[in-house]
Amino acid sequence: MINKAAHSETAVRQQNFKTSFPLDISYIPIGVACGILLHAAGFNLFNIVLVSLLVFSGGAQFLIASMLTINSPLVTVVLMLFFLELRYALLGSSLSKYLHGQSTWFTFLFACSMNDENYAVNYLKFSTDKQFTPSDALQIEHWSLLFWTLSNFVGGVLGSAITIDLTVVHFALTALFLFMIVMQVKSLLKVLVAGLAAGLAIFFLVVTKSTLGLVFATLIASFIGFVIDNYLTKQRKKTQRKSPLLRMFKNPAGTPRE
Amino acid sequence: MEWNGLQHFFLVILCFFVALLPRFIPLSFFRKRKIPGWFNEWMEFVPICLFTSLVVKDLFITKTYSFSVTGMLPELIASVVVILIAFWTRSMALSVIIGLGLVFALTFLI
Repeated sequence: MINKAAHSETAVRQQNFKTSFPLDISYIPIGVACGILLHAAGFNLFNIVLVSLLVFSGGAQFLIASMLTINSPLVTVVLMLFFLELRYALLGSSLSKYLHGQSTWFTFLFACSMNDENYAVNYLKFSTDKQFTPSDALQIEHWSLLFWTLSNFVGGVLGSAITIDLTVVHFALTALFLFMIVMQVKSLLKVLVAGLAAGLAIFFLVVTKSTLGLVFATLIASFIGFVIDNYLTKQRKKTQRKSPLLRMFKNPAGTPRE
Repeated sequence: MEWNGLQHFFLVILCFFVALLPRFIPLSFFRKRKIPGWFNEWMEFVPICLFTSLVVKDLFITKTYSFSVTGMLPELIASVVVILIAFWTRSMALSVIIGLGLVFALTFLI
């Protein structure tokens, strides 16, 4: 009995590793690049590992590195970081329904190592796989944290010996988000909302000159999407006809593979 | 001003708290309270909007936060391919690896 339980636990662990693996791989080049940059900004190896473990955010660490190389004061760096990380409030809110009733300690651990990318993986799993538990999600966070920290460490060791074309490496994350968008687009309404978000993002990013624009665009576009969705669902109840906007797309690859 | 290791250490600790607050507060707030239905419905649209905004920032917004259509042409072309691959294969690994390879190749060509 115990053996069986232990066995299935290992199986779950392996499954979680498999789920997080594509993300882990895409972290390697960008993590190494980040380590190199932090080294160039004057960080020692200990601090490179520490910042990867504690802050665990590609964008934030690139920001720290670039602000330190232009000698920004401490307050400016911390403040900029705060605005950059503000969008995580949205991630937390949208995942909260799956973490209902968890302990404070678990929530703390989960919050510590949540970021854009593992949120994306976990959100997809939570919304498609009923067997997926919060502890599975935490494991996926920790796998990505491990790969991220190791890659940063390697980057710190390689140091200034290598120069990297950052924009190319960064595309790994862009591709990851594109994949997530395609997975999320299930109806015509979602396509329209994504288009709206794109337009708003350009507008707010240019106006605010900071990543705060991402927060505004996301809040407004998602809210408009919610309002339209609500309206169409009510109309449907009245007229008994489903709006073409809400009709689900056919999946060209059959059921989603994990 | 040249920073030393200890100052970097304190910077990291400060950044940890600043980064933790926005992640922890919403999760902890909704942990015990009943989440209103309309809020959940709203939040369902958050991922797609957030990811689209992030992609738009990567593809069309320059480092100085101005708008540019052709500033990142290799990435733009690769993005179209990534979307098609993601749509037909539904494989995250394939999408990322082929996309990255394509950007490498295109940056050399263009």
